[in-house]
Amino acid sequence: MNEETTGWQEFKKGLILENPLMVLMVGLCAVLAISTRVENGIFMGLSATFVLVFSNIIIASIRKWIPDQIRIPIFIVVIASFVTIVDLSLKAYFPPVYERLGVWIPLIVVNCIILARAEGYAYRNPVWHSFMDGLGMGAGYTVVLLVMSIIRELLGTGQIVLFDKTIISLGPFNPPAIFILFPGAFLTFACLVALLNRYKMRKKK
Amino acid sequence: MIERMVKLGVTLMVVGVVAALGLGLTYTVTRKKIEQYDLQVEAQACLSALPGVKSASEIKEDKQLSAKVRKKYPDVQKVFTCGKGYIFVVKTKGYGGPLTLAVGIDPGGKVRGIATVTSKETVGLGSKALEAAYLGGFKGKTAADKLKVGEDVQAVTGATITSKAVTGQVKQALEAFSLIEQ
Repeated sequence: MNEETTGWQEFKKGLILENPLMVLMVGLCAVLAISTRVENGIFMGLSATFVLVFSNIIIASIRKWIPDQIRIPIFIVVIASFVTIVDLSLKAYFPPVYERLGVWIPLIVVNCIILARAEGYAYRNPVWHSFMDGLGMGAGYTVVLLVMSIIRELLGTGQIVLFDKTIISLGPFNPPAIFILFPGAFLTFACLVALLNRYKMRKKK
Repeated sequence: MIERMVKLGVTLMVVGVVAALGLGLTYTVTRKKIEQYDLQVEAQACLSALPGVKSASEIKEDKQLSAKVRKKYPDVQKVFTCGKGYIFVVKTKGYGGPLTLAVGIDPGGKVRGIATVTSKETVGLGSKALEAAYLGGFKGKTAADKLKVGEDVQAVTGATITSKAVTGQVKQALEAFSLIEQ
């Protein structure tokens, strides 16, 4: 279907034009919940990208053998397997992060971004394009997640702590805790969407 | 028709088997690390269950005692000993899945402290029965206490099942203590 597009174009569309979070607005719940710390953002973004890329590759490479009637169960099995791999590896090698992300890692299974890319893209496109598509969508997801968690951690706690080291500190001021609470998630997200829409409107003119 | 169903079934099965193989492999690779981590968490909980114990090196699992107690009380997973008393690691079913607690009992047979090892209780509901405010209420209880929810123990609102599980576990730890001290 998209044979004429290059892999780079497939990658790029996930960043801005079809950004899963800012434009398609799917898979938001995990983002709103865990973007309280930059460290969470990094690991959640990488985990989701890993699952996206590999489930896309597998589904694209076996798509000719998947009967139409049972494609959804097969997608779920593939996605759930990769999520479990991420889950076990995080628990084994990064237990503190695993504790904090908690239920959100297993919940990647039902993240609409991943199932949507499997059903809407990887099932109909060749492996290379699906790989780039997964990578682009994952990158778009991770970038937004990082921007949100940087804003929220910095404003909500007054500093950014990465792997037990303080990277940035705003110095002595009383940070408004609302930014790391739920209202802060919605406020930050709404501001980001507004900025992106303004950028797009400017570009149209 | 039947042919097609068989074909669908076989396809699904092949996918399932390949996925299971991949997961089995990951599990084997990560198992050691995860077990190590779980032991660390358990040791941490044991430390806070028996006030006065300062480092994990002071407590040790008594494998003989563990085996003896487990025969009569299968929910008691492990018995740790140290100069200041015993710590019983008890695992039963909570509301959201397995619930493991460490119960510290001093040589006089009194509960000194309780700490959560692992819990899958609902945050905000069941988890309220695992907060220090509730667990602290068990301090000083002995095997002579009835330990029944609704009689000498209050359940936390919205956390009845967890409260019952906790109470039952404390009771088992105390009974196990009596078995040892006989």
